[in-house]
Formats: sequence, structure tokens, C-alpha cells
Amino acid sequence: MNFPERNPNLENTIDPWRIRVFVIIVALVFSVYTLRLYSLQILQGEDYAARAAGNRTQEINIQAPRGIISDRNGAVLARNVASYNVVITASELPDDEADIQRIYRELSTVIGVPVNLNELSPENPYVPCRSEHGIAQIALYGATASPYTPVRVKCDVDELTARVVMERSVDWPGVNIEIEPIREYPTGNLTANIVGYMGPVPAELLDYDLYQQQRLVANRDKVGYAGVELSLQDILGGTNGLRVVERDVAGQVLRDLQPPIAPQPGNNVRLTIDVRLQQLARTALEAEMNYLNRVSPTGIRTTSGVVIAINPKTGEILAMVSYPSYDNNRMARFIPAYYLEQLQSDGREPLLNHAIQAERPPGSVFKLSTAVGALNEGVVTPDQVIKTPGVIELVQKYYANDPGKPQKFVDWIYNDGAHPEGFVQLTIRGCIQNSSNVCFYKLGGGYFDEIPNGGLNICRLKTYAEALGYGFPTGIELPGEENGLLPTPTWKRITQGENWATGDTYIATVGQGYVLVTPLQVLMSATTIANDGVMMQPTIVREIVDGEGNVITPFTPRIKWDITQDNLIKVYAPQAGVSSSCQETGEARNVDPEVLQIVQEGMRLAVTDGTLKDTFQGFPIAAAGKTGTAEYCDNVAQEKRLCKPGNWPSHGWTVAYAPYDDPEIAVVAFLYNAGEGAKTAAPVVRGVIEGYFYLKTIDAGGETP
Amino acid sequence: MQRLNWRDFDFWLLAGVILLIIFGVVMIRSAIAGNIDLLELNIVRRQIIFALLGLLMVFAATLIDYHVWEATYTVLYFGVFLLLGVLFAVGQAVYGSARWFDVGFILIQPSEIAKIVLIMALARFFARNQHRIHRPEWIARSFLLTLGIAIWILLQPDLSTSIVLFVIWFVMLWSSGLPVRYLVGTAVGGVFLLLVTVPLVFGAIVNPDSLSEDGLIKPYQMWRVHNFIFTDEEARYGEGFNVEQALITIGSGSLFGAGYGQNPQVQSRFLKVRQTDFIYAVIAGEFGFVGTTLVTLLLLFVIWRCLLIARRASDTYGALMVIGVATLLTFHAMVNVGMNLKLLPVTGLPLPFISYGGSSLLSTMLGIGLVESVAIRQKQLNFEA
Repeated sequence: MNFPERNPNLENTIDPWRIRVFVIIVALVFSVYTLRLYSLQILQGEDYAARAAGNRTQEINIQAPRGIISDRNGAVLARNVASYNVVITASELPDDEADIQRIYRELSTVIGVPVNLNELSPENPYVPCRSEHGIAQIALYGATASPYTPVRVKCDVDELTARVVMERSVDWPGVNIEIEPIREYPTGNLTANIVGYMGPVPAELLDYDLYQQQRLVANRDKVGYAGVELSLQDILGGTNGLRVVERDVAGQVLRDLQPPIAPQPGNNVRLTIDVRLQQLARTALEAEMNYLNRVSPTGIRTTSGVVIAINPKTGEILAMVSYPSYDNNRMARFIPAYYLEQLQSDGREPLLNHAIQAERPPGSVFKLSTAVGALNEGVVTPDQVIKTPGVIELVQKYYANDPGKPQKFVDWIYNDGAHPEGFVQLTIRGCIQNSSNVCFYKLGGGYFDEIPNGGLNICRLKTYAEALGYGFPTGIELPGEENGLLPTPTWKRITQGENWATGDTYIATVGQGYVLVTPLQVLMSATTIANDGVMMQPTIVREIVDGEGNVITPFTPRIKWDITQDNLIKVYAPQAGVSSSCQETGEARNVDPEVLQIVQEGMRLAVTDGTLKDTFQGFPIAAAGKTGTAEYCDNVAQEKRLCKPGNWPSHGWTVAYAPYDDPEIAVVAFLYNAGEGAKTAAPVVRGVIEGYFYLKTIDAGGETP
Repeated sequence: MQRLNWRDFDFWLLAGVILLIIFGVVMIRSAIAGNIDLLELNIVRRQIIFALLGLLMVFAATLIDYHVWEATYTVLYFGVFLLLGVLFAVGQAVYGSARWFDVGFILIQPSEIAKIVLIMALARFFARNQHRIHRPEWIARSFLLTLGIAIWILLQPDLSTSIVLFVIWFVMLWSSGLPVRYLVGTAVGGVFLLLVTVPLVFGAIVNPDSLSEDGLIKPYQMWRVHNFIFTDEEARYGEGFNVEQALITIGSGSLFGAGYGQNPQVQSRFLKVRQTDFIYAVIAGEFGFVGTTLVTLLLLFVIWRCLLIARRASDTYGALMVIGVATLLTFHAMVNVGMNLKLLPVTGLPLPFISYGGSSLLSTMLGIGLVESVAIRQKQLNFEA
């Protein structure tokens, strides 16, 4: 039978070539796929394996607790306290949505964060502790970003709220309290200039070796920004721990890939400060400053001040007050920008530790260097009588053969009008006792045949001042210490573009002109003299103690140098002219102990019958000291138009030690723009020395008067 | 009723399918490790149950003469048409959109049944009209037949499944004798149309959100194309992230893979939708280039067996039905693997026999049953005539 057309129901009429085309297309496509697979797995396999490894390995940095700072008696100056954050871990929330909502509602009533507030958006992202979002939004962020990592819902809740949340966390799975260590400074602004404060690790300093070594993490860990917190960061900071772990996509830690490194807590530091003496010194300084400002007819007079107390035998700083100060507790959680700005724009510079970070003219306290130099160099003999009229005329010369211009130099006592004859005549002891300017002008710069050959001269003055600790940082364990300035003819030519003049030498010998010092340097110079020439290394750190109370570094006083033994005094060739550079001969010598004995006697006389007589009236312990009234004309004074010729404003200085025979305490006080040191700084010094012996009696268990 | 000749039952085909399913179950077990939700759902056991049901379905379909489907075509076609229509209407009313019927123990996906029924309907249509299929009006009729079912799925909206239906239509049309000149013409026309619409299409790809939510192509679908073309490697979630993780998983597999249950990308769940869309990446990550190539070859072997059966089929209807099923398997495999290798945009099409999914496994197994039904009734060497 023939059909006109093939009956499809009886025959397969599909053209085989059409199926072949199908096969070819499939073969082509899968060949491409295989090539692609080959490229991914074989050619780029290593890249992808590395990316897979990067996906799942995570470094976990474990914060090390910071060391505690205390004073010499164990009173805490800086410690870590718990700050409580309410956190939600999304992965621990219950499965049931109604349960979750119940938790949010109940939590909301306890912590006061609304359940729903401000949807998350790129413009308004979640920022821990800062952004304002509802609990549900923050939890959603946690669930999507990192379900196994707690996210902060509310930061720094009070302890009561924290306890309530902890108690109820049984009913609130997923809700927890995170304890964040925060630095607390119980003594606040009393010790802020010593202790300092902390701030976040600056991202640009992360490469800094110490921070690397301590494994600090940006945006989490904090480092010292000032004071001991900064300078002892290596001791206090400890070393953060590290775990390299494998994690899954949700952030859950599966296992350690390397042996974990446990965090090493920072060591505790015990400072040499006695916080009681510190308080006493601050009170004495503040009281004096308040008094001076109250009686001042021209309004606020003195705006900042410094008191430092040291044990001359050991170099231990017992108190270091820099006024005004700031409240480092306000920087504990974060540094408020407005507060920092307020401190930075304050002309009194409360952020500075004026004891070491401010350079001031020393005035007459600097005469101790001149006296030591003049005696040791034989410019004057111990019993030589020097004529000290109220006014002398000296010739101001700018170069060797300069005929010069006569200029009058007056003694301080001449200014009160009652003593036109000045001190008449004095020996070197008397010069120190009465702080006679005329005497020191003559010793420092020479005076005709009475003090021939240009006196001590600026070169030798500089080397004696350096031996007494001026011109360089003292090396105390505090950051940002200033050098001070001891001028030389070369220095003046380079920086001022002018030749050194005779007058420059004269005023430098009495600590005026270009001479700048820090209060600690003044204290160290007096301490060295009191200590018979032994310069102790000033220190603020008594001992370093580990977390279990074992002393790691016990206190050992360190002698910096002994000017009677070590050849610190450079010998210079005679100056060709007044403005010639200082020519070192390469030789060096030391100081005769007898010289120091004479200077000590001069300082003792100042207390018994000199500049400090009124202040130390009736003081039961033999003290010795030196006052200073340093004229200045800085930018502040210029703005206030205080720099009137011949009548500049002045800072008050006094440095003293006691007991005279066997010094236990040396104190310096500096009062900015307070005027005459004997009347302004001296009472503060006496108060602190008194306080020291008062505390000593208490500590010995004795009765106090 | 002719006597069945079990010698003609394609045991190779069934063996290949069973091997793939077993391998799939094993891979699903590895893929879900660590995901409590999936473990609680017990999806490995579910997949095994579906596989056993599917096996029963293969034998049942083998026993039934496939010409039965030719005779009952009207009922089947309109049944599916109604089912999809009702799903669409109810879905729109109740959920806004729906792809499934929930019948308690399983979610039935009518679109899966629709694929098989469409194959049956088209096979009948092309077999009967093969002699005039070169005429455009008959091509159009076949297209309308496809559209009748595809339209509902397109409206669900399920673009990828509708594309599957049109691909099945096209391959069956081609097999039954689409003149090559039409193909060339269509290609030229298509290129022209593309050039005209390029600015429009490009604009939509660059900014998918410019599309209307009510349009035929939804913004999310265009986002897939967008993400395929403009990959954000830093993304921590979403489809771009998923594909990137699939690439990392595949790439980290290297030559022999990390070993079964050993690929951290899979086990630590960096790879998403591992048990379904990205199971290919799991295989590549754990068995490497060698293992993956073997599995791909096995899949191609199954397709090849189907095509062999299509050639040996005793009539055009049977052959076309087998070609339809082969197209279904091939296209699913191509799209799924292409997506895993980031050669194609993300779609939800499974890897046949291997990806987890009851409805799709059952429908493909039904397809295999149809193929075996054709195989067992293939042309006999006729000594009686």
C-alpha cells in the first residue's frame, strides 16, 4: 500500500542530520564550558585558592589590660574601670519573630532606645555609640553584617541598668552586656599634667615600631597622648594577644589555625609622686595666685604657675604641679572636640606641663651658675670685697675695638628709691645672699681693674650652666621636655643677625636677656649645689610592678654626674673680643668642692638674712635658697602693652632646699607675671617645704604640731 | 497491546540517571552540612524519597504506551492551562504572585508538569503537521500552542521557565523540519531588531530600576543581567556575591578538588544556595577538574542516550517527544553550568538529577519515563513482514 505522504504515526520521519546539529551545538557549548573550567581551576586555581583562604581566615586581636599608675604610696592615679554597653548578637536571638519583638519591646523599656527608629541607609549608616537607630534596625544590621559578632545597641549605660539587663538576659537570648575597659583618673586635674590622657591610635602611627610590637588595633585600642601615659606606653600598654582562626561565612570561629598568643597585660607603674604633697603644693600655689590676683589693682595678674618638689639625694620628683591643668577624666571615653579646642585656645596653655614644657627667663635664680663659675675660675676669690653701688656705668661694646657707648646698669635695691647707695660692698656670699645685680654684672662681664679680663664671660658661663643642668632636657620620663636656651655669640649672630654685645653678657649673668630655662632645670641646678655637686637623674618613676605585685624594676637612684669629679667644665681660649666665638681648647676640668660650699653658704645667708628672710621667718628647719624676679616681654605681655621700657613685667621665682646640712627636699616655684620672687614664689616654696616635713612626721607616726 | 520487549529498555540510560541522582544526593549531603535549617528539613531524605518516587514513575511511564498521551492530549493541555490559570488568579489574589501549590507534604510546581505536557502537545502537533511545517502559519500555530502555557508562567513571573518552554518549542520545531532559510531570516531580523532596541536594552541593563514593576521584565530580572555584566567584586551579599563565591569555590577546587565534604568554601557556607543553583560549584570545589569533567560527561552520556532513542523511535511522535525531553535536560544543564561558570546570568534553573528539588526531579524522571516508553516500543527488526 502506498501513502501519498509518509504516515508519521507509523514511521520516524525525523531527519537524522537535524539531531546531529543538536549534538554539535551541545558539544560546542560544553567544550567552551570545559575550557572555562580548565581556566578557572587549573590556570587561575592558585588565585582562587588564595581568595578562598582569605575568605575564611581571620585574625582576632585580643586586647591586653593596661597597667595601673599609682603614686609612691600606692594611691591610684590611673586605673581601668568597666564601662557597660548593651549589645545584641543576632545569631543568638530566638527563631520566633514574635519572641524577638517581645525582647525588643522589653529591652526598649529598660534602656530607653526605641524599638524602631531611623531606617538604615547609606546616608544614615549604623555607627556604634554614635548613630541613632532603633533596636530592630541595629539588630538587622548585626544579622546581615556579622551575626556572631555583638553589635552595640546602647553604650555606656549605668551600672544599675547593666545589672538589670544581665539579670534579664536569661529571658532575652541574644542580649548581653559588653564590658569595655575605660581609663579613670581618680586624681583628675591634680595630676593630669603628669599622668596625661589617652586617645585612639592614630592610623598614620600604626606602623610605629612600638605600636606594631604591641599589636595595637586602629579604632579600638588607645595609646597615651600626653604625660606618663605617653612616655611609658611601652610599659603600661602590654602586648595584645593574637589568634589566627578559621571562620565560617557568618563569622563563627571554627578553629585556631596557629597556636594562639595570649595577651600580655601591661605592667603597673608606681610614680615617685606623693599625691598628698602634690595636693598641698597645688593648694599653696593656687592660694598664692588667688591672693595675688585679688590684691592686684590691675585685675588678674598671674595666670600660670609651677611647683616642683624633689628629693635631692635620689632625684625622685615628689610633686610636680603645673597650673592651670585640665580634667583628663573628660577624655576617658573619647576626646571631646569642643573641650580639646577650649584647652588649646586657652592662652594659659593648660595642656602644657609648664614644669618641663615651658621656657622662661630665670632671672636671679640663674646667678647660682654665675657664682659657681666665677669662684671656680678664680674671677673672684671667696673673701674678695666687690664694690656694689646702686648704679654702675658699663660700656656697651659690639666688637673688640668698639669705643662703646656707656650705659647705666642698676641694682634692684636702687629701684625702691630708699637705697641710692645700693649694697655698697659685698663678698661673693653677700652677693648671693642679697642677689646683687651689680655684683654679678661685674663678675660675669668684668669691670675695669676690679674684675679684669672681661670677668667670667659668656662662654664660661655657658659651660657652668650646662654642668648645673641648663641647656638640655633633664631626661625625666615625661614627653616633650624643652631644652631651654643658653646663648653664645655665634648663636646670636645666626639667629638674631647681630653681634654679641657686652651688655648681653651682663644681663645673661643675671638670667635675663636671651637665657631661657624650664622650672625643672632651675630646680636641678639648686639640687646639684645642695647635693655637693652630685647631679641626680630626676625621675618620676619609682618602680615597675607586674600584675601580681612583683617588682620588676625596683627603684635605684641614678647619679647623672658629679661636677666635682667629672670633668664637665670646658676650658676656652681667652676671647679675642666681646663678640668672638667661643674657642674650646679641648681641655676640661671639674669644680672645686669648696666653691659649692661657698655658694651653699650664700644661699643659707639669703634665708637667714637676705632675700628670703621675711618669708622664712620662724621656720624651724635650716633652709637655703635663692629668689628670682625675671623680667620678660613675651607675646602675651606685648599684647597687653605691659612692656614699658625700664619697667617690664616679671615672673616670680624661688628655689630652696632643707635641711641645709643634709638636704631632703628641694622645691622650686614659678609664678607667671607675679612680680618679685621673694614676695610671690617664696611663700609657696616655704609652704611646700613645711608640708613635706608635716607629712614626714605623720608618716613616722609622730605628733604634728 | 503489543508485548513489551525489555531488551529494548535502555538500561544504560537508566543507569546513568540513577548514578547522577545518587551522586546528587551525596553532594546535597555535603552542601547542607552546617546549615541547621536545611538539616532540620532533612532534605537528603526528602531527595531520596523523591528519587524513589521518580524511579517508580520511570517504570510506570515505561509501561504506559506513550500514544496514550497523544490521545488524551486535549485533557492534559487544558488541564495544565487551567491549573496555571487558577494558580495565577489565586496567587495574584492571595500572595501577589505564586509558583507553587502547597498540598501539605510537597509544594507542587505546576510549571514543572507544564514542561512535560507541552512536550507531549508539541510532539503531537509537529508529528501531525510535519508536512506543512515549512508554512509560516503552521509555525505560528505551534508558537501559539506554546504561548498558551508559557503566558501563565511568564506572568507568574518566571522568565527562565518560560524561556525553557520556548527553547523546547524551537528545538522540536527545528527537528521536525524548520526550513534553514527561515532560521537565517530570523537571525538577520533578530540582529536588526537588536540593533534598533540596543539603546533601550542597554539603558535598562545599566539602570534596571528604570523598568516598571508591572512590566513584562521586572527590575530584579534585569538586575541579574546587570550584575552579570557589571560585577561588584566587593559585594558582601546578593547575587553578585553568590556568583563570585561560586567562582572562588570552583577555582579553589584545582585538579582533584578538596575532597568530599572538605571544601571550606562549601563547608563554611561562603557559597550560597549550594544544594540547588550552585551544586555544580560544590562538585567542582570538592572533586576538582577531573571529577567535574566526569560528572559532565555522565550528564552528556544521558543526553546522548536520549538522542539515540529519538533516532530509533518507531514513529515521529515518539521521536519528537524524546527530543523534547532531551532539550529540557540539555537546556537546564547548559544554563545551570553556564551560570556557575559566570558565563551566563543567574537563573533558578537546576542541574538535572543533581540539584535538590522534588518537583523538578519528578518531572525530569517522568521525562526519562517517556523516553524509556519510546525506547521500549522502538522499531523492531521486522521478520514477520
